[in-house]
Amino acid sequence: MSMINVKVAAIEQVTPLVKHFTFVKEDGSSLPAFSGGSHVVVSIDIGGRVHRNPYSLMGSPMENEAYHISVRRQENSRGGSVFMHENVTVGMPLKITYPMNLFSLAKKGRKHILIAGGIGITPFMSQIADLKRMGANYELHYAFRSPEHGAFAAQLKESCGDHLHCYIDSNATRLDLEALLSDQPLGTHVYVCGPSPMVVATLETARNLGWPENHIHSEQFLSPPIGEPFKIQLARSNIEIQVSAEMSMLEAIEAAGVEADFLCRGGVCGRCELDVLETDGALLHNDHFLTDSEKASCKKIMPCVSRAKGERLMLDL
Amino acid sequence: MEHGYWIKSKPVYNALVWHEKATAHLIIAKNQGVLVALKLFQQRQPTQPVTLLYAQDGTDYAKTLNKVVPAGLDVLNSEQDLLVSLKNIMPNMRMGLRVYVAGSEGFIWSVAEVLKTFGVEDADIMKELTDTLARTIYCVHCKAITHNITTNIGKCSGCERMLFVRDHFSRHLGAYMGLMIDAESPGELPEIEEIYP
Repeated sequence: MSMINVKVAAIEQVTPLVKHFTFVKEDGSSLPAFSGGSHVVVSIDIGGRVHRNPYSLMGSPMENEAYHISVRRQENSRGGSVFMHENVTVGMPLKITYPMNLFSLAKKGRKHILIAGGIGITPFMSQIADLKRMGANYELHYAFRSPEHGAFAAQLKESCGDHLHCYIDSNATRLDLEALLSDQPLGTHVYVCGPSPMVVATLETARNLGWPENHIHSEQFLSPPIGEPFKIQLARSNIEIQVSAEMSMLEAIEAAGVEADFLCRGGVCGRCELDVLETDGALLHNDHFLTDSEKASCKKIMPCVSRAKGERLMLDL
Repeated sequence: MEHGYWIKSKPVYNALVWHEKATAHLIIAKNQGVLVALKLFQQRQPTQPVTLLYAQDGTDYAKTLNKVVPAGLDVLNSEQDLLVSLKNIMPNMRMGLRVYVAGSEGFIWSVAEVLKTFGVEDADIMKELTDTLARTIYCVHCKAITHNITTNIGKCSGCERMLFVRDHFSRHLGAYMGLMIDAESPGELPEIEEIYP
């Protein structure tokens, strides 16, 4: 997969848990254009092991001199975000993928309701630039824990004005999804990005109120969960690989020198899907891509976030 | 036609069934499409409010309809009147409305064109085909639209070229692509057969 060589041009501590990184091309040229809601996958080398994590681009799609991402520090994860916070410094070279968009605005929408929870604000930062340029009708509903955790809230207030509605847990102000979604004009689209309970609640509320499926949009990147070690066999490459507790199957395949397709690495896009040829144990599906019946069939697996139990898992790779 | 032949742009019509999740329902039917509407009420009476717009031809179903849809029934005498009535009620509708259309293909897409201007997208509309398989065709040469073509080859209402009726469908125009059949050898036409009765 072709990558872009960038270097870190600036790092800003935005909230106690969130850092904002600015990337520019290492050779000083312009970066590829992107559309609101796009993300890039950032590669970082932690002690010889490559981590690749997806982050939303939050700058304006009009700006191609620099890309902006924000990273929330996740203590109980595999160390990618902690490394970004503690070890990445200004001037450091990094490799990123070309931008791609799994969370684009519905161009035919007549009104757009954006719902963000915490760090889930990032994809909306670039979407808002697009919505403003289109002169579109939109509302941004942004929920966060306490005033100091409201990343970019002041900046958004300035750029969005009355379109912005903030909900702060510590002030006991809460977003009433039912009230919000039960009285919207025809042609409205809803978009949600944030913690899992918020995404699930938004999807359920919209569906229960009879919103058509193609008016409901969500994005939730998963990080590969830590689990029990297991073994996989690659049929075409004719090798057996050990997947350690902290490694994803995709990372283990890459570390063994086998080339595998991927795009988002967060269980969303479906690009890394592999066919399961044989298995003797349970597949632990963690992705948002396969349907429930596909998951139950044990014929496919998304190696970026899913794992397995048992001695034998033969993949068509 | 070859086995397995299929074109992505060709619309697939289904049998109407109520959406369980909704805040309101809107049924729009013409001619035999009204039987489909009545079939819906045979399935069940929904708990949410229902509006039914019906453009009638010869058979008068208004009496029967009045019994099953006591409130919200609007019987119109033509497709034109129905589209006007539709334009009048749409501004009051909100998200949560589920839309069902039953009638000929030409009717379905005339309705879809009006609905689109109110933010209801093609994918949001449940559609059932009744009455006829007749096609509306769009002439790629003179851009005229010709309605009710029932044969494999039809004459363009604009330029009078003989057009081969293709399966490529434009949701924007509500029409199939029509392409001059005898451009290479003028006047040499294959047999004209009725295939869209």
